[in-house]
Amino acid sequence: MGRFLFSRLISALVVIVGVVCLVFMLIHLVPGDPVDVMLGESALPADREALRSSLGLDRPLAVQLAEYLKGVVRFDLGRSLHAKQAVAELLAERIPATLELALAALVITLLIAIPLGIVAAVNRGRAADWGAMGFSMLGLSIPNFWLGPMLILCFSLWLGWTPVSGREGMSSLILPAVTLGMSFAAILARMVRSSLLEVLDEDFVRTARAKGLDEKRVIWRHAMGNAWLPVITLVGLQLGALLGGAVVTEVVFDWPGIGSLMIESIQKRDYPVVQGCVLFISLAYVLVNTLTDLIYGLVDPRIHGGGGR
Amino acid sequence: MGWRQPLLLLWVTLSSLACSTAYEEDSIRMGLASAPITLDPRYATDATSERINRLLYQRLVAFDERSMPIPAVADWQRLSPRRYRVRLNQSAGRFLQGRRLDADDVIATYRYVLDPNNASPRRSGITMIEEIVKVDDLTVDFKLSRSDPLFPAYLTLDILPADLINSDHDFARNPVGSGPFSFNAWPLPGRLILKRREDNRRFEFVEVKNPTVRVLKLLRGEIDMLQNDLSPELIDYLQAQAGIGIERRDGSNFTYIGFNLRDPQTADPRLRRAIAHAIDRQAIIHHLMQGAARRAEALLPPEHWAGADALKAHAYDPQRAVSLLREAGYGAANPLRLVYKTSSDPFRIRLATVVQSQLKAVGIEVELRSYDWGTFFGDIKAGNFQLYSLSWVGIRTPDIFNYVFASDSLPPAGANRGRYASVAVDRLLQQLESADSLERQAQLYHRIQRQLHADLPYLPLWYEGQVVASSPRISGYRLMRDGNYDGLEQVRVRRQQGMEDGHIAVAY
Repeated sequence: MGRFLFSRLISALVVIVGVVCLVFMLIHLVPGDPVDVMLGESALPADREALRSSLGLDRPLAVQLAEYLKGVVRFDLGRSLHAKQAVAELLAERIPATLELALAALVITLLIAIPLGIVAAVNRGRAADWGAMGFSMLGLSIPNFWLGPMLILCFSLWLGWTPVSGREGMSSLILPAVTLGMSFAAILARMVRSSLLEVLDEDFVRTARAKGLDEKRVIWRHAMGNAWLPVITLVGLQLGALLGGAVVTEVVFDWPGIGSLMIESIQKRDYPVVQGCVLFISLAYVLVNTLTDLIYGLVDPRIHGGGGR
Repeated sequence: MGWRQPLLLLWVTLSSLACSTAYEEDSIRMGLASAPITLDPRYATDATSERINRLLYQRLVAFDERSMPIPAVADWQRLSPRRYRVRLNQSAGRFLQGRRLDADDVIATYRYVLDPNNASPRRSGITMIEEIVKVDDLTVDFKLSRSDPLFPAYLTLDILPADLINSDHDFARNPVGSGPFSFNAWPLPGRLILKRREDNRRFEFVEVKNPTVRVLKLLRGEIDMLQNDLSPELIDYLQAQAGIGIERRDGSNFTYIGFNLRDPQTADPRLRRAIAHAIDRQAIIHHLMQGAARRAEALLPPEHWAGADALKAHAYDPQRAVSLLREAGYGAANPLRLVYKTSSDPFRIRLATVVQSQLKAVGIEVELRSYDWGTFFGDIKAGNFQLYSLSWVGIRTPDIFNYVFASDSLPPAGANRGRYASVAVDRLLQQLESADSLERQAQLYHRIQRQLHADLPYLPLWYEGQVVASSPRISGYRLMRDGNYDGLEQVRVRRQQGMEDGHIAVAY
């Protein structure tokens, strides 16, 4: 296990440094100048140059990148060009909202997807299967930018149960979490169904049934126990994506998360903030993937144990 | 039962994570499409920051309906063509510490902006100031490097307290001004809270990016008002809702199509005139904007003191457009193909699509390309375009003509993005430098606009109107022509006092 963790840590470092360097180069190659956004068009050329110099943007790109990486090692992510705030502070303001939404959406995803997938698999070819998969198809087909306003119209405006948008306590979390969770649940439900269908045809399930175990126990203990691996993979990927920020949902619900911060910063060419967001997202992905791998080991000890007893 | 416990634990964790930012009942809440970026007026360049800063700070000079400079917190006197004396009047307010705005604050603010080391975007507007001299606690003399009868119109910097400027105070996040509102809190990037000094009423500025959601928040009472940045359909929808008040007024923000005068195709004046005759601006205003604009013939609206009101419209005349194209050598066998660049703003894309369709009707094939703002604007400034559409917002002084149309105002020195070069216009702009009265300046500006109208480096489209939608809970908001939020000084919350004679009695 120790060796496994060490190798994961090394590959994670390579991935993060690679992503940070790549994004650094790309964002500087995109047309558009942060000095223009900061000073406006009417600023004097001398003032532009002075600002560019004071921000260090006149130095060669490689020097800027080296400076940035040196800062990252010292946990200094720089300062926002626009907000004049430390990037770490800006991220700290947004991360709780992102975590909150990601976790809530994940709960909703699991609450919808697992029962739906099981019902569909157990009733293969019957009305319940068609119904569950039809619901799943609907969840996949409806874009979040439409579902969000529809949920607002229904639950906020007509029924008055939740606030329309913003981060104003627990009730404001429900609609964005449902919006985000619906599309993920649709994908996961299909995965649960197909994984379970594969396992339900295995000999050990037939044996369990032949032993006279009740169906609930057969499904939950024996079949699902062996169907978790692909489901866990997908949940890990989805959690990574959720932590990376759900831009559309954040915009519709004015949710102050990492996704909207990154988009705003890209529009303003606020390089240090974009870099900070990318760093956080890569870290989140790496962490979630490592956790997923660890959970694999718990679910199936053969995986990290060298493949045999 | 085992699975319920972790679930409950997770929900409790989420509940504790969810911070409560519930609104206070007595607040007046305004929905904004974008939050202010900085509350330091020396560095603000976005419209929202400038509008909010107007509430927090005071400035020496304001403008009347014709955009003529009028005293705000100071009166002025022209001592000589290059020397102005400015004297603070009774309107000068107090900073939070109780100290009244004085000459030292004016001097400190202007000197800070003029210092090139501070890289303020406001410096370019006041570079003619050579020296600032304190006469007494309420009086300041401005010595200019050149004569300019319009100089008072440039005295629009928001005044900051001198002591805090000197101590390098963080005005961006913790503004201190002498305006009618004071800063209260900025708990979230999209939620700014100010207090009106007169009655301590809280005002919350809430960023709601999605216009549909903004409208839904107004209908549910989560915000009390919203101004502009709404599609005509949403305005129509709001108009049909009981209790929602809609107020409109003419605006001065100017929308145009810009041509690249260095492009071999769009450099041909016949082609630009053909496009002008092929676009039915009135139909676009009527159908696409549902009347929320008025047709423009020049950059400045006719009511502006330097505006030209006798320009003959480029009438919608597809036949004339076709014959001009034929004259220029284009026809069915050799159709004109142009690229139209625009931002990714949905309304801009719709406008571009309509223009594309109208131009197709006269045989011009238009390829639309929409980009994110940075890329689009970078291309426009670099002259990498044939056609584009943009707006000029908040134009008050006519020196914009020098900035936009002088042949030496190519970006980054100016905003002559279309690379327009006219000897006649350059000569008139030079004459303006020696024009010693506003009347003479107005005459010269009229001539410049007539020349531009003939040359068509821009095709003027319209002046966008202003619109505000408000809930029945508030009243008294006055909509301004340039879209600023000064009307918040008068806005009141209606208090329901009960039923009298079958009607709800309302007190203010």
